[in-house]
Amino acid sequence: MSDEHDELRARLSAADPASSLPRSDPDRVARLLEDTMSHPETPTDSDRRRGPLTWLVAAAAVAIIAGVGAFALVNGTEEAGSPVAGPDPSGSTSASGTTELRAPGAEAISGRCLPPTADVLAEADVAFDGTVEQIDEGLVTLRATRWYAGEPTDLVTVRGPSEELQQLLVAVDFQDGGRYLVAASDNGQVMVCGFSSDFSPRLQRLYGQAFGQ
Amino acid sequence: MATDQGEEQRRARFEALARELIDPLRRYLARRTDPATADDVLSDALLVCWRRLDDVPDNALPWAYGVARNCLANAERGERRRERLVARLSVVAPPEQVAAPDDRDGELLEAMAALRPEDAELLRLWAWEQLTSAEIATVLQVSANAASIRLHRAREKLREELRKIQQVAGHEQSREGRGS
Repeated sequence: MSDEHDELRARLSAADPASSLPRSDPDRVARLLEDTMSHPETPTDSDRRRGPLTWLVAAAAVAIIAGVGAFALVNGTEEAGSPVAGPDPSGSTSASGTTELRAPGAEAISGRCLPPTADVLAEADVAFDGTVEQIDEGLVTLRATRWYAGEPTDLVTVRGPSEELQQLLVAVDFQDGGRYLVAASDNGQVMVCGFSSDFSPRLQRLYGQAFGQ
Repeated sequence: MATDQGEEQRRARFEALARELIDPLRRYLARRTDPATADDVLSDALLVCWRRLDDVPDNALPWAYGVARNCLANAERGERRRERLVARLSVVAPPEQVAAPDDRDGELLEAMAALRPEDAELLRLWAWEQLTSAEIATVLQVSANAASIRLHRAREKLREELRKIQQVAGHEQSREGRGS
């Protein structure tokens, strides 16, 4: 009887998916313990942590972006052609010759990404090729090197994407010194989901098509 | 300063405990969920241990598995709500499945899949976490007697399923033999 048990247990153990899991990294353990002990001993309201949603959705977003290339974020309830949502007008050109744009809010993630097309892109009122000069406190400053649409200015500022949107990886991940193609709709919201992205010849061709350059 | 000392002792006690628990809990979670959820749930479970340090029994591990089990159930409840959003995103390009190793015991996996989830979980706790039926009782928060009986039945059911699968396989082989 016991031998029979041992045999069954051994057979199950051989199928253990965690048998090859490496031991945890001591530095990681130390950080994990420190993080845990930094919590108060009794729960508080502000203590709620981000669940696995972020990672799941981010993984899905990565799959989409990596698999198909570029997409437009289309809000399900808005007209299908417009990749941004939100009533707030801006996108203004300030007196100092800087175009001011902003990233869409987290509400935009209720939509879906669709492949960007030149037709939709052509509706952008601001479109340019530029390099990030400075990033601070959620404000990204780009030096525009080529304008496809909008009144040309030397500098463009973008209010950084919200944390939520960045984590979903549908927003543009501006890096210092990086070159980007950025488009924004008439209310100054940066078009995400692949319309605005780091520079690639493919995206540049799309910009060329959309704006006849 | 007495409170500072108490705090220091508490931290030291937790650190010693957590270092014992982390690897078994990581394996427990790796067996039952995806890596990202496992990381989240591990943090959740450690936080519960930190907060309930005074409740931790001498044999801490089965109790901690029970904590992780609850945290994982919570995470998965939330996950199901969110899967709708994920589903909308993944319609375009479904995420790649992790490739399974080729040398896995297909018959065993099939037999486990045919069991009720509660029975399969008992067997996992027994074979993978290497727990006794009394320890399984702690994890599942049932009486030791109930755990012992259920474990016995689950083993019998698994053997039965394995027998069925082998019979089908044997039957197919003999048919192939006749056909040639």
